[in-house]
Amino acid sequence: MATPATITIEDVQTNTPGMVVKICKFSGQLDESNVDEKAQQIYGLIEQNPANLNLIFDFEELEYMNSKSIGYLTDWYGKVFESGGKIVIAKTRPNILDILQVVGLTQLIKTYPTIDEAKFAITH
Amino acid sequence: MNDIATTLKNNKTQPVKILITLPTHAYFMSGIRDFTLSLIRNTTDFSEQWAYRFQSVVDELCNNAIEHGSKPGEEIKITFIYTPLNNIEIIVEDSGTGEHPKKAAELKVLIENKIEKDLPMTSLRGRGLSKIVHEWTDELEFIDKPEGGLKVRVRKYLTNVSAEEMKKSFAFSEDQTHILI
Repeated sequence: MATPATITIEDVQTNTPGMVVKICKFSGQLDESNVDEKAQQIYGLIEQNPANLNLIFDFEELEYMNSKSIGYLTDWYGKVFESGGKIVIAKTRPNILDILQVVGLTQLIKTYPTIDEAKFAITH
Repeated sequence: MNDIATTLKNNKTQPVKILITLPTHAYFMSGIRDFTLSLIRNTTDFSEQWAYRFQSVVDELCNNAIEHGSKPGEEIKITFIYTPLNNIEIIVEDSGTGEHPKKAAELKVLIENKIEKDLPMTSLRGRGLSKIVHEWTDELEFIDKPEGGLKVRVRKYLTNVSAEEMKKSFAFSEDQTHILI
């Protein structure tokens, strides 16, 4: 029995050869009941794209995230960064941004109010 | 019923205590988060920002109790004590029957070390108590229960919330996912 949460992934067209950009849309709540399972989706994506993977995490529909999901976020960031890519976050709800700020994650991963701004940051 | 409602509404000094017991299973945490959010929002003087913060605090405390403190099939207890216009106290207790139960002294040292060393940003675990709970409460205490198990007590004073934070109200007009008490 797990709290409902989904991650949907879509490709973003880019003019830069070799650059892979994807939007990962999170919805629901990430907590102890589901985060270990849901995290595997992103790990799978990172594994399938071992170089120059750039991810935009759309958090508009993400209602809650616990400290373990923050841990996964930092791990994904590390792996993507090491392979020449980036992770940025877009459209966070105020309570989610508050959590990201208190754990210091906003010093590591940039957040943007819109998807367009996040896309621009990723591709420039 | 009207007398009780009036009494509660007019109560400005007497602490209000709510005790919840739930099974040792992460599945129930979304319900407790919803309850915490509604309780703080609707029955205390803390702002909406703080209601969401306490939601995280309660979740992190309960997760630790479930993961370390009480084995499956047992229970954890959560107590909310609100003293009007003064502070909120939250206590989470486990039974000490978990696989790797922690003692109060052990946890105290663990948290102090993490706070002092300022956890590296890239580490996977360890932010729940040392960051979220520590930053969003004024008091954090670990107590070994005589009958076994651990009690973790936190308190936040209204006087330690800045005027700006008290005014902060998140725009949740579109949020239909939370219940009202």
